Amino acid sequence: MKRLLVAAAVLAVLAGISLLIGASHVSWAALFSPGPDDRALQVLVISRVPRLFAIMLAGTSLGVAGLLMQMIARNRFVEPTTAGTAESASLGLLAATLLAPGLPVLGKMLVATLFALAGTAMFLLVLRRIPMRSALIVPVVGLILGGIIDSATTFFAYRFDLLQSVNAWTTGDFSTVLRGRYELLWVTLGLTCGAYAAADRFTVAGMGETFTTNLGLNYPRIVALGLVIVSLVTAMIVVTVGMIPFLGLIVPNLVTRVLGDNARRSIPWVAVSGAGFVLLCDIVGRVVRHPYEIPGGTIAGVIGSVLFLYLLLRRDARVG
Amino acid sequence: MSTPDRRSLPLFAILGVVVVLAVVWVGVKFQRPSTPEAWAEPGVPAAVEGRTVTHAQGTTVVPLNPRRVIVFDLVALDILQALEVDVLGVAGDQFPDHLAKYRDAKYARMGTLFEPDYEAIHAVRPDLIITGGRSSAKYANLSRLAPTVDLPMSGKDYLATVVANTELLAGIFGKEAKARTLVEELRKSIATLKGTTAGRGRGLVVLVTGGRMSAYGPGSRFGVIHDDFGVPVAAEGLSASLHGEVIGAEFIREKNPDWLFVIDRDAAMGQQEGGARQVLGNELVHQTSAWQKGQVVYLDPGTSYLVGGGIQSVKHMRDQVAAAYAQAR
Repeated sequence: MKRLLVAAAVLAVLAGISLLIGASHVSWAALFSPGPDDRALQVLVISRVPRLFAIMLAGTSLGVAGLLMQMIARNRFVEPTTAGTAESASLGLLAATLLAPGLPVLGKMLVATLFALAGTAMFLLVLRRIPMRSALIVPVVGLILGGIIDSATTFFAYRFDLLQSVNAWTTGDFSTVLRGRYELLWVTLGLTCGAYAAADRFTVAGMGETFTTNLGLNYPRIVALGLVIVSLVTAMIVVTVGMIPFLGLIVPNLVTRVLGDNARRSIPWVAVSGAGFVLLCDIVGRVVRHPYEIPGGTIAGVIGSVLFLYLLLRRDARVG
Repeated sequence: MSTPDRRSLPLFAILGVVVVLAVVWVGVKFQRPSTPEAWAEPGVPAAVEGRTVTHAQGTTVVPLNPRRVIVFDLVALDILQALEVDVLGVAGDQFPDHLAKYRDAKYARMGTLFEPDYEAIHAVRPDLIITGGRSSAKYANLSRLAPTVDLPMSGKDYLATVVANTELLAGIFGKEAKARTLVEELRKSIATLKGTTAGRGRGLVVLVTGGRMSAYGPGSRFGVIHDDFGVPVAAEGLSASLHGEVIGAEFIREKNPDWLFVIDRDAAMGQQEGGARQVLGNELVHQTSAWQKGQVVYLDPGTSYLVGGGIQSVKHMRDQVAAAYAQAR
C-alpha cells in the first residue's frame, strides 16, 4: 500500500510536468499571479487539464483491459492490439465513417464496440479450436487475425482514399483533446472500476474453465463480462484518441511479474503504471519537437517495442 | 500443431465465404467503366520526328504534335485543360470541380495515380505519357511503354514551377502563345493580391484530416500563400515536410494568426465537408484574431489539395484569397 502511494506520487509529479508543457507558455507563476487576461489559466482549463485526464483515463483503462484479456485468454502476450480487438474497432470506425458519415461520436463508438466485440469473440473462438495451444501460438493467432482484419480496413480505406485519415485516427494522439472533446472517456473509468469490483472472478477465470466451474462460478458469464469491458474500452479509446500500442501488454506483464496473478492486488498497480506510461510517452512527444508534436502513440510504439523484445527474450520468461 | 479440429471447419468456411462475398461486392460495385471505343482505334504509328524535352527526370524525345496523351497528374491535366489540349486517358477517379469533365467515361481509365494499369496503357499505344507529383515514382516504369515526361512539383519557387510546367507542356503541344497569355494574367493577378496582403496581418496554413491538424509554412506544398501571395508568416520555422507539422489548438492560439487558411483534406478526398470546421471550432481557436475578425478562409479542398500547382487551380486559390481579403476590408 505504501509503495502504491509512492507510485501515485511519481504519477502526480509527471502530471504536474504535463500541465506545464505545451505550445503555449504556462508557468506556475503566471497561474498564481492573475494578469490582465488569465490566458495561462484558460489554456490550463481548456486544454492541459482535459488532455491530462484523457491520457490518464486511456492509460489506466488500456492497462486493465490488457490484464483482463491476458486472464481470459490465459496468455501473457495478449492485449487489444495483439488479439484483433483494436483492429476490429478501427474497421468499425471506418464502416461508420463510410456508411453513416453524419453519425454522432456516440453512434460511432457503438459501431466500433460491436466490431470490437465480434473481433475479440472470434479470436477466442479460434483459440478454443486450436488444440495443444502453446504459449506463443496464442499471440501469433491474434496477430494473424488482427492482420486479416487490418487488411480489410486498408482495402476499403485505399478504395475510398481514406488511408491517411485512418492512419491519423488509429495513431494514439492527444493533440486535439480539449474541453468538450474527450468527456466520453470517463466511461472507461467506470469500466475499470467494474473490472476492479469483479477482480476476484477474473483471477479465478484465469485459472481455467474447469477450475472456475468447480468453484461454482459461471465461467462463460465472467468471460463475457471481460469481453464487454475490453471491447468498450478499446472502442472508446480508438474513437476518441486512437490506439496506444503495446501498453496493455507491457504494463500488466511487468506488474504481474512482481505481484503475481491476483487481479485485486495488481489492478491498482496496472492502473497507475498504465497512466504513467502514456503520460511519459505524451510528454516526450511534446518535448522532442516543441512546439510541434509527435503523437504519443508513436512514442509508445518505440518504447513499447523495446520493452516487448525484452519481455520476450529474457531468460526466465514465464509465458502461459 | 496437429490437424485442425473438425468443428473449426464451419467457422473458417463461413469466414471465407464472407470475405469472398465482400471482395466480389466491392469488385462489382466499383468496376471502372471500360471504354472499348476509345481503345479500338488503332494508334497513330509513332512519329519518327520529335523534339527533345528536358524535364524533372531527364530528357525525352517527344513526337511532334502528340495526340494520344495519357496523364497521370492532376496538375498536368489542369494545365492541359487551360491550354485547350485534349487527352486520351486519365488516372484515378478523384477530380475537383474544375476538372469535372474528366470524370466522363469517354476518358479511358489508366489505373490510379499511384498504381498505373500497365496493360491498359500498353493497349492504347500512347504517343506521350505525363507523370508528376503523386505519380512521379512510376516514371521509370511508364517511360518504358511510351515517351514520358515528368512535371516537377515542389513548394520551393512555387509560382516559378507553375510557370515552368505550363511552358514545358505548351512547348510540347505548340501552344506557346496561349501559355504566354495565361502566365501573364496569373502573374498580374498575383501581383495585385500581393499588394493587398502585406499589411493585413499574419497568416497560418492548417490542414485537417482524420480529426488531426498539421501546419505548413513557406516552401511547403501550400507555401504559395506566403511565398507568392505575400501573406506574412504567423509561425516561423515550420519545416517544409510533405505532411506538415502536427499541431494542437494551443499552437494556433499561441501564434495568434490574423488569417487562418484551412484545407479540409477529407473533403478533398470525397468525404463529407465540415470535419475541419468541427476540429477548428474550439474555445482556443475562437480566441485568435483570425476567428474574431472572421478571417478564417476554407480553401477549396479540390483545387488547393488535389491540384496544387495547376495554373487554373493557383488562379482559383488566388481568387479565393483575394475575395476573402476584399470581403474583410
